[in-house]
Amino acid sequence: MTSDPSDKNKELERIRVSEKGGNAPETMPLEDYLAQGGKLTTPENAPPRYRGELLRLMATFVDSELAGAAGFADIINQGPGIKERISASRIVLEKLDHAERVLAVMGEFGADVSRYANHHPWTARVARDCDLGATRHGSDMRLAVLHYPLQDWLDAVVMNVLMGRAVTIQLDEFSRLSYQPLGDIFRAILPRERRHMELGEEGLRKLLQDETNRPAVTASIAYWRPRVAASFGAMASQHFDTQKKFGLRHTGNAELARQWADQVDGLLGDIGLR
Amino acid sequence: MARFFPLEVTDVRRETRDAVVVTLAPRDEDRQAFDFTQGQYLTFRRSFDGEELRRSYSICTGKDEGLLRVGIKRVDGGAFSTWANEDLKAGDALEAMAPMGAFHVPLQPEMSRNYLAFAGGSGITPVLSLIKTTLAREPRSRFTLIYGNRSINSIMFREELEDIKNTNLGRFNVVHVLESEAQEIDLFSGRIDAEKCARLFKGWVNIAAVDMAFICGPEPMMLAIAASLREHGLRDEQIKFELFASAPRRAKHVVKTTTDGARAETCKATITLDGSTRVIEMAKKGETILEAALAASLDAPFACKAGVCSTCRAMVLEGEVEMETNHALEDYEVRQGYVLTCQCHPLSDHVVVTYDQ
Repeated sequence: MTSDPSDKNKELERIRVSEKGGNAPETMPLEDYLAQGGKLTTPENAPPRYRGELLRLMATFVDSELAGAAGFADIINQGPGIKERISASRIVLEKLDHAERVLAVMGEFGADVSRYANHHPWTARVARDCDLGATRHGSDMRLAVLHYPLQDWLDAVVMNVLMGRAVTIQLDEFSRLSYQPLGDIFRAILPRERRHMELGEEGLRKLLQDETNRPAVTASIAYWRPRVAASFGAMASQHFDTQKKFGLRHTGNAELARQWADQVDGLLGDIGLR
Repeated sequence: MARFFPLEVTDVRRETRDAVVVTLAPRDEDRQAFDFTQGQYLTFRRSFDGEELRRSYSICTGKDEGLLRVGIKRVDGGAFSTWANEDLKAGDALEAMAPMGAFHVPLQPEMSRNYLAFAGGSGITPVLSLIKTTLAREPRSRFTLIYGNRSINSIMFREELEDIKNTNLGRFNVVHVLESEAQEIDLFSGRIDAEKCARLFKGWVNIAAVDMAFICGPEPMMLAIAASLREHGLRDEQIKFELFASAPRRAKHVVKTTTDGARAETCKATITLDGSTRVIEMAKKGETILEAALAASLDAPFACKAGVCSTCRAMVLEGEVEMETNHALEDYEVRQGYVLTCQCHPLSDHVVVTYDQ
């Protein structure tokens, strides 16, 4: 793909040695590097505050996947047919796999991976009528929306549709983050999470073929929509500013939430629920 | 938790005036653990004057050479690299963790791809591993290396690169860019920056045909090249980085433990986060440093609150604390003064803690 540089290389051999010398090492402060879009690649590169914010972000993802998978696992048997149960099983399997991949990166920063996987009861849920807002609850980092219980198959499908859209938007944002080994993982799992969303949408369309499901679907959307919306976090967030400074985030919570709302409106219009 | 394996040094070869290439042999039972992927690095540990240092160096051999080898360039004031360059010899023992790092793409023998790599100085080490492995395992692919150095004498692996070129005619090209040497073609003098990239992409590298680019070097070089690659149409997923951190990032810190009698029920905790400091009166029992920080509206990082994930790690600069449990910090970190604030209670009447170091 290059023109043949052999002639030039011969010239290299004849170069005149003229040491200018005294050159300072060509480095720059890490803050500047990150502010300009630089990537970090090993735990050793990561300064302490960056490390803390990166681990926090990873823990949020891992806990959300573990809690999401745990909640969905209970619903598999309620799938109306084998196909649906396969879809639900696949979602559970892959969410656990995604959690494991990101947890492995946490392990490179020192986390005790085997203890971490079991340090919380991931199936634990609050009462259905609780209102947690956007705040974390209990002692794990899962998104608040994953603390609410699924009621039945239909409810799980609706939740998966709304949350699936949110997850793909979040992962798209995360795949650009400044810790490249993690960005690569998010980029690799994004198509699979997108597939989970599509499986949910296929399931929802199927449910809606039966007109009598319509009121229950509408009620379920009304329940989940504000809760998923809250998972994008506070619209003005000092925490976001810190993450942005480190290149861990780029797009604000409000903008991501707006993208999600637009997509959900479009989808609901498509399936005749608006 | 990090696990270290013993490695025997079987050869130390001087590569340039200030760089050595060290060949290592794992024990038979650890061979599997050291079955590296091209582009990965090893993290070594060694004690210097009672303080444990950890340093990472990239593997410079290809997958098919059957050798485990790292290049170590001396860094001014760097204890580990100076020691490796001056005192390390065959027969010595080193300790290293299993290979880590994701500076590679999966190879597919049937593919015919164009790879482009940029290396600055000792940033060549992982790139050399990529070049050799790729040429061997993807026989239809081509590799171009743009390699920046201070002067011709400081070029690591110069002869080996020539050999690779000669045995892979037409599949491997190297362009040397030398900072401190005037050359007849001024394109090959100076630093690899955005302007240099733009000129290289005009005549020397068909950037439109590049499938994958790798960059390993210091920060400004990585930024400039990445920006230029994007400008010339490469997507983020086509650019892999390896930032070499030859200089220690963390300020060396000497923990000053003051004993102040520890008589009071409460403790005055001085906590710093993102450069701002709060002084908090906290109970010695029943409240952790993390909880005190959060209660004082500091946005301190945490996740598991169970001593497992290490997100809440901070450094104690003054005073005494105790941790209830610790499943994440290693002994050497604890000796440096690091604590898990979610598990941490003050013992002394005054503690100074920072999340910034």
